Amino acid sequence: MARARRIPGLGPGTRFGDAAAAAVEVRAAEVFEHSGGVLDTGDIERVHAMRVSTRRLRAALEVFAVCFPRKEHKSVLRDVKALADALGERRDPDVALAALAGVAAELTRADRSGINSLVTELRENQQHGNAGLEQALERAKESRLEERLAALAGAARSPDPAAGGGLPAGAVPPLAIGAVPPSDAITP
Amino acid sequence: MKARRVKRLDPEGTLADNARRIAAVRLKELRSFAPRALDPAEVDALHDMRIAAKRLRYVLEITESALGPAAREGAKSAKRLQDLLGEIHDCDVMLPRVHAHTDRLRSEDTRWVRQAAGSRAKDLAPSATRSAPNRARYRGLETLAVYLSARRTVLFDRFLREWEALEAGGFAARLTEGISPAPAESGPGLSPRAPEPAAPPGGAGP
Repeated sequence: MARARRIPGLGPGTRFGDAAAAAVEVRAAEVFEHSGGVLDTGDIERVHAMRVSTRRLRAALEVFAVCFPRKEHKSVLRDVKALADALGERRDPDVALAALAGVAAELTRADRSGINSLVTELRENQQHGNAGLEQALERAKESRLEERLAALAGAARSPDPAAGGGLPAGAVPPLAIGAVPPSDAITP
Repeated sequence: MKARRVKRLDPEGTLADNARRIAAVRLKELRSFAPRALDPAEVDALHDMRIAAKRLRYVLEITESALGPAAREGAKSAKRLQDLLGEIHDCDVMLPRVHAHTDRLRSEDTRWVRQAAGSRAKDLAPSATRSAPNRARYRGLETLAVYLSARRTVLFDRFLREWEALEAGGFAARLTEGISPAPAESGPGLSPRAPEPAAPPGGAGP
């Protein structure tokens, strides 16, 4: 499963708005890094990784809500939720199918017939979820969600970071978008 | 479940002060579900408690570097609780799905057997069910339903034990104390040792 990247530069004295900017930048980058191959139902870990990343981004947007311009935040959060919902619609049958495979493997052959009929139904749900996810990804692209997230993060940052901004003495500035992230990670 | 509003958050304030405020509200929110969620029939309360555990976990994870090791430990406890409640939730979702699927198969078979009898049949022999297309499927689905019901009970009993252990171990007090500012730390916070800060504009919170 995808592990969350550590957000660099955060300390007790970091200005809350600067922490918000850093958190949203890092979490947004994770979401879009995991978007490749999510429509492949043969590899259910891809959609899982993107869903977890989206959930973390949503959490960051909610935790730091007060730091962002209200209107833009509401619009971005709504779109992130829509993406998360679409990922959930695809992921739920994935999980159920994996669970049923595990149960079926331990039951008798006579019991498997009934479980297989439920598997067929869940496969249809999985395909339906995949079609919905494809549309949601397209909507995210059309609405320039990635760019809007970057702008939202920028709006939370202190006005003059070059002069130290709101960062306390000795604090490391947040990671810039596109910068190479550190390899360490925190709890998934 | 809509998250409780966190008052007096300040974008110009420090991460630590704001994080303590949010964590305190999320912790209180989690514990508020305990009385109802300890009843196995309260499916919605269990679901809400899982969401509350998830919110607490995420705020502690994202602010761990500001709140220290107590936040890391708190996040781990919240994750364990979230995962266990998630397993219970999966049973609560899957069981009605199995019942609904069984009902659909039964309806299909009923229509099939009725049609096979012909439109002018006076009665129906039990042997007519031998040709029902789904007749071999009920056993597996009923076995699955039994398994899910029993597993749900096992997981719920485990949840009760783990929740009681958390409470008995002073999880909430340890977390609150652990993320409180040290006496030398400047700036207001949530600790009873520190005064409440003045209210900044806004106040809508996560």
